[in-house]
Amino acid sequence: MWGAISVGKVCYTACANALRIALLIPLTACGIAQEPPTARSVPIHQTWQIQPGSAIAGHRVLAGLGDISIDLAGQRVYAPFDGQMQPTAGNCVVFSSPEVPAYLLRLCGLRRPSLGSVQEGQALGRGEVLHFATLRKQTDGRWALVEPSSALLTRLLRSP
Amino acid sequence: MMKRRKPERKNPASYLVMGGSLLMLAMLMTDLGDRRPKPVSNKCLEVVQSQSVLHRDKLSQLLSIPERSSREQVKAVISEPYCRLPQVEIRAGVPADREAYPLAFDPQTWFVVLYEGNEYAGYDFVFKK
Repeated sequence: MWGAISVGKVCYTACANALRIALLIPLTACGIAQEPPTARSVPIHQTWQIQPGSAIAGHRVLAGLGDISIDLAGQRVYAPFDGQMQPTAGNCVVFSSPEVPAYLLRLCGLRRPSLGSVQEGQALGRGEVLHFATLRKQTDGRWALVEPSSALLTRLLRSP
Repeated sequence: MMKRRKPERKNPASYLVMGGSLLMLAMLMTDLGDRRPKPVSNKCLEVVQSQSVLHRDKLSQLLSIPERSSREQVKAVISEPYCRLPQVEIRAGVPADREAYPLAFDPQTWFVVLYEGNEYAGYDFVFKK
C-alpha cells in the first residue's frame, strides 16, 4: 500500500490516506454505515496465467494455485468476522473485515452468496464445492495468496 | 349570564405525539452527552487503557509508516491501545495481534491495527453501525 519502493507511490498513497481521513467525519456524520456491494478488483501479486474465471478450451477455470477446494456438499459457509461481501472476477466473492486489516478472503463456488454487510456467524451462501483463497496485502497494493490457517477455515465452515 | 367554558379535551393522539417527542428529545440528549467509546469495545479481549484515544496528528504520523515496518516503529508513534482484540490466526502458523483505538475526533470510529510477530501488517477503520 505504501510505496517503500518509489516516490510516486508514496505520494499517491499518502494522498489517498489524507483523503480517507478527510472523509471519516462526513461519512460517519451522515450515518452512512453500509457500502453498496460494488464489484471489487483484487490485483494478485502472483503472476500466474491461470486464475479463477480464466477459460481453457471453452471450459471455465474454477480455481487456481493458492486455492483450497472444500467439499461443502450443499452446506453453508459463515462469516468469520463482521465484514463486507463484494463480487469479484471469476464469479467469486471477496470477504473483507476491518477487524482483520491487511487480509481478504476470496470465495468461489457459492450459489447466491450474501452481498454487502454481514455479521460474524451469518451465512454467506452455500454450494457443492468451495474454492477458498486467503490474500494478504502487499506493500505495492497487490494481494498475495497465502496459506490459510485451519482455525480460519473452521470459523468459516462451522455453524455458530 | 356568562357561558361557562367547557374544559378542552385533548385528542388522545396528541398525548402520543407529545410523549413521542419527549422520548426522542431524551434519546437525542443522551446520545449527544455520551461521548465515551462505543463498540468495537464489545469485541475487546482486555481493556489496556480505558482513556486511550487516537488524535489526528498521531493518526497522520501512523499512516506514513510503511506496512512491514517493525511493531516498535508503530509503538513509537501511538500510545497504549484502548484494548486488545482476541488473537487470530489468518495465515497458517502466524498468530496476529490486534489493537483498537477510538478516534479522538470521532469516538464512534475505531482504528484497528494488526501485527504479526514484530511486524506491522496493516490497519483499518471500524465505523459505528
